[in-house]
Amino acid sequence: MTTILKLPRLARVALVITVAGCSFDIQNPNTPDVIGDNPSRSVVAATANGILIATRADVADWALKGGILGREAYRFDGSDPRFTGELMHGPLDPGSRAFGGNHWAEEYAAIRTANDLLAVINTASALTAEEQSATSGFAHTMQAYNFSIVLDAHRQDSIPIDVGTDVNAPPAPFVSNTEAYAHVVSLLDGAATELQAGGSAFPFPLPSGFSGFNTPASFLTFNRALRARVAVYLGDYAGALTALAASFLNTGQPLSLGVYMDYSAGTGDFANPLALDPVSGENVAHPSLAVRAQLQPGGQPDARLTSKVVTLSGPRSADNLSTQLGWIRYPDPNTPIPLIKNEELILLRAEANIGLGDLPTALTDVNFVRTTSGGLAPLVAFADPTSAITELLYNKRYSLLYEGGHSWIDYRRYGRTADLDGFDRAGDVIFPTLPIPTAEVQAHQ
Amino acid sequence: MGQRTCGVVVSFLLLLGVQVGAAQVRQISGRITNAQTEQGLPEATIAVLGTQIVAQAGSNGQFVLNAPDGDLNLSIRAIGFKRQQLVVPAGQETVDVALEPDVFKLEEIVITGQATGVEQRNLANAVSTVSAAELTRAPTPTIESALQGKIPGATIQANSGAPGGGLQVNLRGVSTIIGDLEPLYVVDGIVVSDVAIPNGANAVTAAQTGGNPENQDNPVNRIADINPEDIERIEVLKGGSAAAIYGSKATNGVIFITTKRGQVGKPQFNITQRFGFSARSNELGSRTFSTLAEAETFASDTALIVSLYQPGRTFDAEKEIFGHKPFSYETNASVSGGTENTKYYVSALVKDDGGIATNTGYRKQAIRSNLDQELGGGFQLSVNMSGTHSLSKRGVSNNDNTGTSPFLVFPFSPNFVDLRPTQAGDSLVASDFPNNPFERSNPLQTYQFLKNDEDVWRILGTSSLRWSALHTGKSNLQFIGIGGVDYFQQDNNFVSPPELEFEPNDGQPGTVVLSKSSNRNVNLALNANHTYLPGDPEHGSQWTTSAGIQFEERRLFATQILGRTLLAGQTSPQQAANQTVLSRLEPVRDLGIFGQEEVLLADRRLLLTAGGRADRSSANGNPQKFFFYPKFAASYVFQRPFGGLDEIKLRAAYGQTGNRAAFGALFSPDTSGTIGGNSGIFIGTRAGDRTLKPERQKEIETGFDATLANGRAQVSLTLYQKNISDLLLKRTLAPSAGQENQIFTSTSTLRNQGIEVALTVQPVQSKDVNWVLRTTFFANRAKITKLTVPAYQTGGFALSLGTFQIEQDSSPTQIFGTVGVDGNGNAVAGKVGDASPDFQMSFSSDVDIHRFTLGMLWDYKQGGDIINLTDFLYDLGQNSKDYLEPGGGKERFARFNAGFTQPYVQSGTYLKLREVNLSYNLPDRLTSGLFGGSVRTARLSLTGRNLLRFTPYHGLDPEVSNFGRQAIVRNIDVAPFPPSRSFFFSIDLGF
Repeated sequence: MTTILKLPRLARVALVITVAGCSFDIQNPNTPDVIGDNPSRSVVAATANGILIATRADVADWALKGGILGREAYRFDGSDPRFTGELMHGPLDPGSRAFGGNHWAEEYAAIRTANDLLAVINTASALTAEEQSATSGFAHTMQAYNFSIVLDAHRQDSIPIDVGTDVNAPPAPFVSNTEAYAHVVSLLDGAATELQAGGSAFPFPLPSGFSGFNTPASFLTFNRALRARVAVYLGDYAGALTALAASFLNTGQPLSLGVYMDYSAGTGDFANPLALDPVSGENVAHPSLAVRAQLQPGGQPDARLTSKVVTLSGPRSADNLSTQLGWIRYPDPNTPIPLIKNEELILLRAEANIGLGDLPTALTDVNFVRTTSGGLAPLVAFADPTSAITELLYNKRYSLLYEGGHSWIDYRRYGRTADLDGFDRAGDVIFPTLPIPTAEVQAHQ
Repeated sequence: MGQRTCGVVVSFLLLLGVQVGAAQVRQISGRITNAQTEQGLPEATIAVLGTQIVAQAGSNGQFVLNAPDGDLNLSIRAIGFKRQQLVVPAGQETVDVALEPDVFKLEEIVITGQATGVEQRNLANAVSTVSAAELTRAPTPTIESALQGKIPGATIQANSGAPGGGLQVNLRGVSTIIGDLEPLYVVDGIVVSDVAIPNGANAVTAAQTGGNPENQDNPVNRIADINPEDIERIEVLKGGSAAAIYGSKATNGVIFITTKRGQVGKPQFNITQRFGFSARSNELGSRTFSTLAEAETFASDTALIVSLYQPGRTFDAEKEIFGHKPFSYETNASVSGGTENTKYYVSALVKDDGGIATNTGYRKQAIRSNLDQELGGGFQLSVNMSGTHSLSKRGVSNNDNTGTSPFLVFPFSPNFVDLRPTQAGDSLVASDFPNNPFERSNPLQTYQFLKNDEDVWRILGTSSLRWSALHTGKSNLQFIGIGGVDYFQQDNNFVSPPELEFEPNDGQPGTVVLSKSSNRNVNLALNANHTYLPGDPEHGSQWTTSAGIQFEERRLFATQILGRTLLAGQTSPQQAANQTVLSRLEPVRDLGIFGQEEVLLADRRLLLTAGGRADRSSANGNPQKFFFYPKFAASYVFQRPFGGLDEIKLRAAYGQTGNRAAFGALFSPDTSGTIGGNSGIFIGTRAGDRTLKPERQKEIETGFDATLANGRAQVSLTLYQKNISDLLLKRTLAPSAGQENQIFTSTSTLRNQGIEVALTVQPVQSKDVNWVLRTTFFANRAKITKLTVPAYQTGGFALSLGTFQIEQDSSPTQIFGTVGVDGNGNAVAGKVGDASPDFQMSFSSDVDIHRFTLGMLWDYKQGGDIINLTDFLYDLGQNSKDYLEPGGGKERFARFNAGFTQPYVQSGTYLKLREVNLSYNLPDRLTSGLFGGSVRTARLSLTGRNLLRFTPYHGLDPEVSNFGRQAIVRNIDVAPFPPSRSFFFSIDLGF
């Protein structure tokens, strides 16, 4: 009987040893943990760039979907009819995060990433106080940018602003559109103060789309540019001119000067998804762009059209829509997408001056863009504020084509979406706003 | 009597292990035959009761037994036959016994614990068993498809027709909403992996973008690697009451697979050679444009249409790709035999199933060696080793966002465009194929040059050591130690060359995805079983006590290198201009302790069982905590309670099991990326929850099994109710918090109620004709009895395209869509269907007429709606075959545009002839001349699988799941791989 006891004991010992060698407390083996207290310089750098990557998640999609909503573009996607259906005649589905419920989650993920960084940045002993301040200014500015996209897409709605870092806390309450814009303004102004106290350099590198804007001082001119855009949207024209004066607006510099979101087909990076083949790619340009383009003195269309759009050999059609225009705005997967650029700032200045009743000053800026960017003849004068706005909207449309829903936003602000040739088919609609996503609404119930 | 890894051995010892070393003074010989056919039964065992003496019949049923003098009590058994017991008086030296077939398997030993079992006659649960003969009636590429229609309570459906498998097995309805959804697979006592790993096609199809985060790569469930020919039998523990002893992983049931083992006797060789072919079983077709004017309505580019359209000329691209009738073959060979001390079973398989589509197919090679060795001193060692290699070429199918999946291209390509290559021959190059002027790709070109190879090597090794520590006449104690490793490596090589029409569209021509995934399951278990027989060894009470400990580690490591922008001819991601690397490590460790007591009383008519298992796991929020799962069961057999009824058993069982969340639900993963050369991390979409605990199922089942009409008929009826609590749910967070969802343990509950009926009738039973008819019926109703989160929609693409609505007091698989538009022009949501079937039935008939056998199996499913988005796409493209017919595509689409999803939610009712076989056993006078008379048996068979199909469904096949294995979000049809049928001619030879 001795063997009876021996074997099980041995086996049991073997089993216990094997089991004891394995911990049952397995940590996440795949991805890093969320940023914690006293982050190192490298964690701060990774999180700061992470804010940009999170922001980038919606930049191209916003340019496309905003472009469809503002009738800059169509997307003929055999696999998904919602590009020509839901976005053009509805009904908008707030439950679909790629369509009606879009331009929300990505922006708030970027805002949350910034919150996670802001919550611990002052504990980062590896950073000087100046570097901490510069980082905060950077993070707050990017939060403001993301909030402003949410507001652009949800113009008639209220949105949450007091978002934190705890998903299990009650969701942040909705505030009115006015209050949300005030929040964006205060984020930008607070960030400006932080950047001014931010010393001479950020404690992290920024990608090449920020070259020229990668020190606290130069980044501040980007912050002011965003501030000017918000001021114009709010009708605060004097405030806009003040912010523009501190921005990088410079008629002596190329119109393309600005801050861009980087894309790359390189390893580990993200290719510009709008860089599709103009002939066979799914994305095409709205036919009205060619129809409405003004002519240069030589009879050619506006150079802003011909530099961004190419006429195809034959028409392309889907879902009772048709066009012969393909996009060459983003010729390859490395082409960056502007967040804001000199050309827009000049037009914002013109818009502010129109708002303030100073048509001649506005005319100078409009003509500068018309001639420099479009190759068009300068206008002699604006007949009245209404025609000044008409001309301004035309120039903003062609100068900022396919860069972030500018036509939709600008024409909508003046109640002129009817001018956008948006009614290709019976029942087509240019929506005034996207609905609040279902997930957000339900979480508040 | 075979030494099955678990279960049977205990009874075997119980029967035999009474006395050792009695004097052997006389020899008894004789022959054991099948009472019906009078043929010898080679696997019969002859045991002398009250001793350890046992003999096994040889190839012709003959046996020789050395036995002590005096009157002997012999027990004669053979698998599939009723046991006989007889007394051999002193002096008698020959015994011939004819055994009656056990059509209803009443004497089959069925598992009830980790290593214990009872006879089906006493079983307190409705455990379904499937024998080797039933499994291999018609050749099948994978094991799950061989089970279709054979298990009442199981819904087994293919996800698509792609070669190499990909099925979902669902036992007794929906047991979870987001937890693990597949049964636990146990092969020879160890838990094996059935993960499904995506093949990387998403790099081209981009199906996972466009707002849908679910993978749609159509992956294969790795249980496909098991060779059906090696399987002796399968036992299916369907719910918590039967499976409780498997604890926290058993909520979806347990599929217990036992492989074949050697028998005492000289080597027996069996060779099966099969030849056959397969063909598509359905096609969609497309619209034929009768006039140029009609064709011009297809697209706005009139010049293009004028250049292509010729009245009466059409092309069938669907047939060009999927219309192949490829040759298939399969060779199986095995040898088994052994002495009383050493037994072996060795087999090999080579199989090549051609695919119905260009450049597709499935090949498999497998070997297995099962050895049993008596070591003396009551020790027995069993070693099982198997190695499998499979290569499947699956093309590209399912949803995409890039116009690359054929059934997403066909809807937009009219049949007057010729997509065929401009020249024939084997040396085609991509430029031989015309570009598709209507879509982004030419599927003929895609299938010719795109490569989607899945290459899997798998090794399964188990060693078990049994020690019969004690056996007296009354008390037997056995220890079983099992160690096993299941390891596989899956390599996926997905290459989309830069010359393909669609490749330049993303600005990065050429895509290659090289994936390597390995999975290791390590099992260690120690069981102790004690049986106590205080009275008569055959009829007295029997007390079986078992206890054990089981450790399991699973470790899945998947890596993927994605390369974009290739030069012509390059296929290595190293050459790609853009490379992305993904890796995913998923380790899980579990430890379980269990114990069980089974008592057979009252002349073995009453069975009482109580047991339980405690489990801890690294997958739980608290990995230190043990969760306890109890079970209780009872059954009572009434003999001849009234006229016409031979025997009826009433049974009831209760048990609990658990189920867990998918790996990673505990964690809040950050996401990382690169921008302009700087790496960055940002918040991930999922928030982890460190308080997760397993879902708990409490199942009660009750029913009866009755034998009628002098053993000519058997009826089984089972009613069950499963209540699942602590339901894991995915909570949608306010996206403004920066994360979008969280898996958490809710206090929500789900209930399944169902009925399973099985009727077996033997209308004719004679020497030359034997006919068995089986019918099963299964219906299940699932209901969310409590939901602590607001009702929500999950799965699919959008409400208007059909989604699933999870809400209280409703079926968890109810399909929601839009049911019109309200006064403000907003879509109104409403129920438009339910993916769960109303009921399922199967009918099988097996007739043996002399040397002929004719068998067939019909599988019927009533209801179970399908969201048919393939139909939708054809209608959208104005290209459906019935586009202009009354009630056709144009009307469906108009209805959809008016705000109704209903036209695309279609009934998935089907009746399929799953299997049919006709075989002929050659008589001895024909076989005796073959190979010098060494042939023992020879059989010729004609078999077919899925030959006939009747369904109102408007798509390719009502067995479809664009999202692969899903608890809820099944039955979505988006451009699947078409189904096929197969025919085989087989020759079986036994030497």
